Amino acid sequence: MNSLATYKFLTVTMLKNHPLTELSSPDVLGTYWKRLVNIADKYYRPGKFTTFAAYEWTASPNTANLHRNIFFLDTKKVPDMPFSAIDSDDPRELWKWMDSQRKAGNELLAIPHNSNLSNGLMFPTEVDDKGRPIDKAWAETRMRNEPLAELKQVKGQSETTPGLSPNDEFSNYEVLAWQLLGHTGDQINYGSYIRQAYKDGLALQDTLGVNPYKFGVVSGSDSHSTAVAYRQNNFFGVHGGSYDETPEKRLKGGLFGFNNLWASPAGLSVVWAEENTREAIFAAMQRKETYATSGVRLKVRLFGGWEFGPDVLKQKDWVKTAYAKGVSMGGDLPASTTMAPSFVVWAVKDPDSGNLDRVQIIKGWTKHGQTFEKIYDVAWAGKRKPDPATGKLPPIGHTVNLATATYTNSIGAVELKTVWADPEFDPSLDAFYYARVLEIPTPRWSTIQAVMLSRVPPDGVAATIQERAWTSPIWYTPSEEVRQAAKPGVTVAELTQKGAMALGDDELKQLIVGNTILVRNTVTGRQFEILHGSDGRRLITAVDGKEPELDVMGELSHGRQLQYEIRDGHYVVEVAGTPFEVTVYKMGDKYVAARSNEFGYANYEVEAVNP
Amino acid sequence: MKGSVGLNHDEPASGERTSSFLKRWGREPLLHFLLIGLALFAGYRALNPEAIGRDSSDRIVLTEDDLRQLRTSWLTQGRPSPTQEDMSSLIQSKVHEEILYREALALGLDKGDTIVKRRLAQKMEFLAEDLTAAREPKTEELKAWFEKNRERFTLASRVSFRHLYFSLDRRGARVKEAAASARERLDGKPAASPVAATLADAFMFQNDYRDRTLDQISDVFGTTFATALFQLTPGSWQGPIESGLGWHVVWVESMTPGRTPTFEEIEPDIKSGWIDEQRIESRRRTFDAMKARYEVVLPNRLAVVGMMAGTAEAKGAP
Repeated sequence: MNSLATYKFLTVTMLKNHPLTELSSPDVLGTYWKRLVNIADKYYRPGKFTTFAAYEWTASPNTANLHRNIFFLDTKKVPDMPFSAIDSDDPRELWKWMDSQRKAGNELLAIPHNSNLSNGLMFPTEVDDKGRPIDKAWAETRMRNEPLAELKQVKGQSETTPGLSPNDEFSNYEVLAWQLLGHTGDQINYGSYIRQAYKDGLALQDTLGVNPYKFGVVSGSDSHSTAVAYRQNNFFGVHGGSYDETPEKRLKGGLFGFNNLWASPAGLSVVWAEENTREAIFAAMQRKETYATSGVRLKVRLFGGWEFGPDVLKQKDWVKTAYAKGVSMGGDLPASTTMAPSFVVWAVKDPDSGNLDRVQIIKGWTKHGQTFEKIYDVAWAGKRKPDPATGKLPPIGHTVNLATATYTNSIGAVELKTVWADPEFDPSLDAFYYARVLEIPTPRWSTIQAVMLSRVPPDGVAATIQERAWTSPIWYTPSEEVRQAAKPGVTVAELTQKGAMALGDDELKQLIVGNTILVRNTVTGRQFEILHGSDGRRLITAVDGKEPELDVMGELSHGRQLQYEIRDGHYVVEVAGTPFEVTVYKMGDKYVAARSNEFGYANYEVEAVNP
Repeated sequence: MKGSVGLNHDEPASGERTSSFLKRWGREPLLHFLLIGLALFAGYRALNPEAIGRDSSDRIVLTEDDLRQLRTSWLTQGRPSPTQEDMSSLIQSKVHEEILYREALALGLDKGDTIVKRRLAQKMEFLAEDLTAAREPKTEELKAWFEKNRERFTLASRVSFRHLYFSLDRRGARVKEAAASARERLDGKPAASPVAATLADAFMFQNDYRDRTLDQISDVFGTTFATALFQLTPGSWQGPIESGLGWHVVWVESMTPGRTPTFEEIEPDIKSGWIDEQRIESRRRTFDAMKARYEVVLPNRLAVVGMMAGTAEAKGAP
């Protein structure tokens, strides 16, 4: 149990900020760091095998995970000691040090990881982890130093959750929300996931003038060991009590409230680069021509442009054409006013894994501080057709035998490729597009190891998974003329300037409690009639003049939006665990409301509906 | 005075008691030794005051060298020169640390501390390594070592081949049949036969691969195909062989078994390997020498076995 006690001791001192000065003195750190750098250099074989000198900065304020992995381009000017979380746990200090390194000729970048465990602190929209407001300079500094974020690792994925993306039927994949060292309380999801960060980034472009979340994606392991499994069939556990253990231990047990079942194999980072050298790979990382996989070796390409006709894939050297006529993953579409962008996407399966189910393009956009996402299935295996009523593509089914933990490749495709144009493009709105590729269902490691022990797959985790890849997005930014020409939204600043008064608690209660309120979302045009009980509960009685449909009710109850509170001059509703405050303003005889996460816009017209 | 010598509890008269008491003690050899020992310690202490205040006195002395070291640590992190304020706070931290360190030592906190033990053990290992810092090897030595360790440097086998692809996506269940009948049609035909191209599907990667290793082929085709490929004989159309992507008919042009490079080709790598081995060897020998001086006592075998059996389950969570 020595290593366990040591691990416990180290993590506790790390979180309590008790530096083990013994271990932080130059001759210890210096020795190890120097050794690591020497090992990296010793095994670097340009063209064959590339290594980087790198380390992890482990800031964990109040056990929220703010860790970053720092990569140096080369070791020519690597410092004698890296900047550690003991020096400071403030990302601003880290970036300051990184900027000074760059000035001294030492090129480097940082990759935040495991944001799903950051308790909402990794991708803030108003104030940073220390409560300081974020501004343009902060956003620019962040983008200068952090061109990438890690999307998948052994402790879950950070793309999104069912709570944040209720219309994404594949979002319930390796969702791992756990407080470091077993602290209690739910993880705060807003601010912890990448798709939401991408959306918020678009809106922040509007208000800050810079998008701080315009990063590409990679995967990682974070196994805390020099070896790591990235396949389901040879997974040997991760830090925290299940390393090199027996299957019994991996299937049951854990440490600090972490259930060993939740862990999964490492993901893989993939870059498109000219050659296998430090310079080429680092440059690809900086320009975000990267994608993340769940551990399988999927090959994926994504290009966006204005000139891709549907036949471009028929050319033998279509890749050359794509680079010439468009931008690859991680890039920016040049502005255009007339046509919709089209995207070329191509995927080939991992030859040692399952066939492909489908390729999706996930679009996000923003309007007047509200953000939206939509998932399009653009290429798929087999002869399925989207359901005419729901627009959704039926699932591919599966070939998994749970008794033997095997599957066959009798369904699915080897290669999927298509050219897709955005059917709902609005040139006045900022948007991003990224591709997600899904394999057919295959057995999860927990199923495989349960079968080894002649047991049924354990409860609490999925028995099968669909391995996948996610590309870095391609961004669309409207030109200034188009932006100016678009009708502006109503802002709180404007309202208060015109003399609107914010309602206090009593006025809010008078307006809302015991009444049915009609709320019109001026961005989407949707209208909701909401009946408010005097017991803090509310009920949506109509949507757009009709009885609400099941999926709307589902969406709303999923986010527990059936309760409300009036306090501190706000009407508060909780969505996916995060409270959002609505401030209602009286403008003449009209009521206009602003929601706290809509970046200063007041997008709601409110009316009392008398029964 | 620690400890005491058992005394005869006879009861002589008071005045006599005192003087006989003293006489007794005065002749006690143990007391003589104690007094001599005390004298020695006192004398040693007087003649050897510890230098940098690391004894258990109440003085903490920071010298200019200490300050220089603080400054250097600061600079080695790539920071600009420390300001007056920076230095002041660094000094404060150092003093803070020294005080806590002495208090900790006074309380015996270093005893039984895993981290401290590990760090000291590591320091010993560093020392042992340092003592055996590699000397320059003679070329004959390297050559001899290379002869004994050839397999470490053997290169992978390589294959050059071309192939025809039969797509699972296009052909579905009939794909293997298509590949098999294509191979039959190609029996006896040369590699560049014009018939070949007409039979197969477009492959998403290359149709022709030069000098590839097993790993490189696995990346593209999967491990099953790669392994099968290296079993084929060059010079004819063979197959059908299954890959992760479909079925193939293959013409192997050449197979180069892995060769071991000559000494001259990889001398730097050989030297590096030799140095690594020396380091491991010398560490082992040094440790063996140290170990020889100790007697190691372990619990009896049955107790060890019993402990292994009852581990996690008996104790509950780790």
